[in-house]
Amino acid sequence: MGTPNPNPEILKGTLDMLVLKTLARGPNHGYGIAQHIRRVSEEAFRVGEGSLYPALQRLLVNGWAQAEWAVTETNRKARVYKLTPAGRRRLAEEVREFDFLLAAIARVMESV
Amino acid sequence: MKLWNRLLLRLRGGRLEAELNDEILLHREMLEADFIRAGMTPRDAAQAAARQFGNPSAAADFSRDEWSFPRFDAVLKDLRFACRLMLRNPLLTCAAALTVAFGVGANTAILSMLEIVLLNPLGMRHTDGVMVARVRIDKIQMRRAPDSGVEFREIQSMPDAFCAAAAMENRAWNYQNGGQATRLLGQAVTPDFFRVFGEDPALGRFFAPEDRQEDQHSVVLAYAMWQSQFGGDPSAIGRKIVLDDQPYSIVGVAAAEFLFPAGAQAWIPLVLSPARLQQRGMNMDLAVFARLRNGVSPAQAVGRVNRYVAGLLASTADLAKVGYGIELDRFAVYVAGDLRGPLWLLWAAALVVLLTGCANVAGLLLTRSASRRREIAIRLSVGATRWQIVRQLLLESLLLGMAGGVAGLCMAKLAVSLLTRVSLPGRQLLALVSLNHRLLLYGVALAMISGLLFGLVPALQLLRESQTSAMVRSRRRRFQDAFVTAQVAGAFVLVVTTVLLLRSLWAVQQIQPGFDPQHLTTAFFTKPKNDPGFQDRLQSALQASPGVESAALAYPVPFDGGGLTSGFSIRDRQRQPGEPEWHGEAYFVSPEYLRTMRIPLLRGRDISETDTAAAPLVCLIDRRLAERFFPNQDPIGQQISMYRDWARIVGVVGTVRATTLEEGSRPVVYYPLVQVPFFTQSAAVVRSGLSAAKTIREAVRRTNGSVPVFDVRTMQERIGESLGIRRILAALLSVFGGISLLLATIGLYGVIAQVVSERTQEIGIRMTLGAQPAQIVAQFARQGLRAGLFGLALGAVAAVYTQSWLASSLYHTQSLDVATFAAVAAGILLLLLAAVWWPSRKASKIDPQAALRYE
Repeated sequence: MGTPNPNPEILKGTLDMLVLKTLARGPNHGYGIAQHIRRVSEEAFRVGEGSLYPALQRLLVNGWAQAEWAVTETNRKARVYKLTPAGRRRLAEEVREFDFLLAAIARVMESV
Repeated sequence: MKLWNRLLLRLRGGRLEAELNDEILLHREMLEADFIRAGMTPRDAAQAAARQFGNPSAAADFSRDEWSFPRFDAVLKDLRFACRLMLRNPLLTCAAALTVAFGVGANTAILSMLEIVLLNPLGMRHTDGVMVARVRIDKIQMRRAPDSGVEFREIQSMPDAFCAAAAMENRAWNYQNGGQATRLLGQAVTPDFFRVFGEDPALGRFFAPEDRQEDQHSVVLAYAMWQSQFGGDPSAIGRKIVLDDQPYSIVGVAAAEFLFPAGAQAWIPLVLSPARLQQRGMNMDLAVFARLRNGVSPAQAVGRVNRYVAGLLASTADLAKVGYGIELDRFAVYVAGDLRGPLWLLWAAALVVLLTGCANVAGLLLTRSASRRREIAIRLSVGATRWQIVRQLLLESLLLGMAGGVAGLCMAKLAVSLLTRVSLPGRQLLALVSLNHRLLLYGVALAMISGLLFGLVPALQLLRESQTSAMVRSRRRRFQDAFVTAQVAGAFVLVVTTVLLLRSLWAVQQIQPGFDPQHLTTAFFTKPKNDPGFQDRLQSALQASPGVESAALAYPVPFDGGGLTSGFSIRDRQRQPGEPEWHGEAYFVSPEYLRTMRIPLLRGRDISETDTAAAPLVCLIDRRLAERFFPNQDPIGQQISMYRDWARIVGVVGTVRATTLEEGSRPVVYYPLVQVPFFTQSAAVVRSGLSAAKTIREAVRRTNGSVPVFDVRTMQERIGESLGIRRILAALLSVFGGISLLLATIGLYGVIAQVVSERTQEIGIRMTLGAQPAQIVAQFARQGLRAGLFGLALGAVAAVYTQSWLASSLYHTQSLDVATFAAVAAGILLLLLAAVWWPSRKASKIDPQAALRYE
């Protein structure tokens, strides 16, 4: 199970971006999204379900994602989320903002 | 977008919830499956998953917040709670809602009339810049009289102030409507008439210069006329209608909203002869309207006209001597006439009722707040914020206000439909009154404001009380006293105003008109052109009709604007130098008139059958004329000239009040109807034990089927109408005054009853210590009456102001009617005493034993 992250909550505001990014790879269900983020971040980010589902609802409400019921590989009915064009635009925006932020942080850190 | 998605999601409601739960459950199952694949036992896997997952319902809750409106949901919850609370206290709820309902209803109904009368006269669209010019002649106390052609020409010649001017003259035509003779009302208007009112035709065109030729009979129809006679058929343009046996071709139809003058069915071109445009003071039967040029204010236009008149008076000594002037009024003022003052008064009265109602409900809620102290304290202690508490309390009162408001709007709807049926000189105006969306909005806003108004103080007070000790009760008492004071003051003003009006009305109604108005019915008809014996036959037919005691013909009839005014002269008599011209009123009557009206014949003889058209002209004079012009001589045999020629006076009759009950009329001369055949219409006057309206219609129809009958009314109705809106004003004010008085009494009673119940223990102790019941009563009575007396004092001051306004702008009430003030004050005081005495006495009857164990 790896080293438990002392602060499993992801940096505020970035969760939406991570979920959007995950969905950009292709439609997925809630569990799949959580697993993907965990795996790819090498257990650094463990998405709490208490924040994942609110985030997914947020995407739906903002029209960035659509959800429909589908059957999984294990023959289980699951709700699958799919990125909308608006969601794609939003992702690009968030990435740009994030890059800007990262660069700014990096400049501050390197200035010493 | 976001809101839309939210709403969409929300609409899916319960399904959404189920899907979310389902999804979270699936998540958990997958997590478990992964753990099992990693080698855990199913039991451990379930536990691990549960640990990692945390609280599933919390996850669902947070998710739900994303698509719900948390604040909105909380308000909904409060709303449900408020509804339950209202239903648990049905009596209080009903009382409060009814109070608001009445205030809001009365206010909205009256404002709907005010709107028609003041803001939006006749519901027309473009009357803002329309002014009306009327003549004033100070010498004979004539104000706002119709114009002659000269004033029209003058107003038309002021293009710097007005961009268009028009003159209008009333017309009445005989019109055959499906074989039945009717009287059609309309006007002759100059070409710019419709332009002045900013109107466009609904169909066809309005008048053009070519319509001005005498032989061009063009007519513009009112929308209603077009609908009823042509079924709204566009091909009506170019067709003809026959008015007074003369064909007129239809050139246009006015818009449906154009309802001026009220009741007008058609307009024809008005041709003013050059002579008419030059003779000032002659043929004064025009109404002159003008539209203000853009950028010219009404006041500037008035100034312009006044400057012109000043110049005119400087150059024309005769005009200056009689005090001639032109008065320019806004169209709304012209239309509203004397309705405006009374309506504002009523509106103010309704507002006072609403405010006293609010004070009353606030008092009620404060009283109830005592019993809710505990509930609020608990809610505060388990974590409710002050804002949440106040929000909930305000929501409760808003809900009460809205319930009252909705009921009030229903009441207003009812009231408006009742009011439009009231018989008034301006009834055609009131018939247009209706509730529109703006008024509904006004009513709703009023209800919500009342809700906040009566909810705020109790809410804040309740919050304060539940947070601190019972010490703040004294502040509540102060509020309650203030509310009682306000209610008593409001009630006092309203009741005093009502009583003053009723007194003046009563005094007027005691006045005898000089004839017997009971069982008299009057109806006008148009004289047929080619039927010389018609009037004789009609009178016989009327007299022969069943139930008719006596019948006569006359023109005009009393209380239809009075007799025809005219100057007169007396043979062999000259006016004294400086004496104003002799003016009198004339009536043209058939032989049975005096007997039918029961006007006493004092000397000489009545008009008789022998006074035919061919016989020498004779007349009767009334006592006023006899006393003034023949003080020490016999008027019989003297000659007087007013109409046609010298007429020999054959009799003297009693004086009659024929315009209003308050004013005596001018000297009156009665001529035989057949000897002065100048008029196109006449009236039947019938004294009958039965209702005679149908009798008259029948008799006229049998005598000549082509004669229209109109304006059928009993003499009582005519007299009632001469009292005008005062009757309605007095009736409505009585209701308002009564209600506010009732509210004040209930309010005071409620406060004292509550004080007594709160202090039961104290009363018990005092009685055990030997206090007498009388002392207990006195204590509470004193406390309650203090607020009441203060209210009376406040009300008296306000009433003095109201009354001075009333005396100056409305009717002839005494300027300071001390007796009325004192009587009303005494009456209210008695009521307050009763309201205070009842609960106080209950206090004095408290059993000390029981009281000590109380609470």
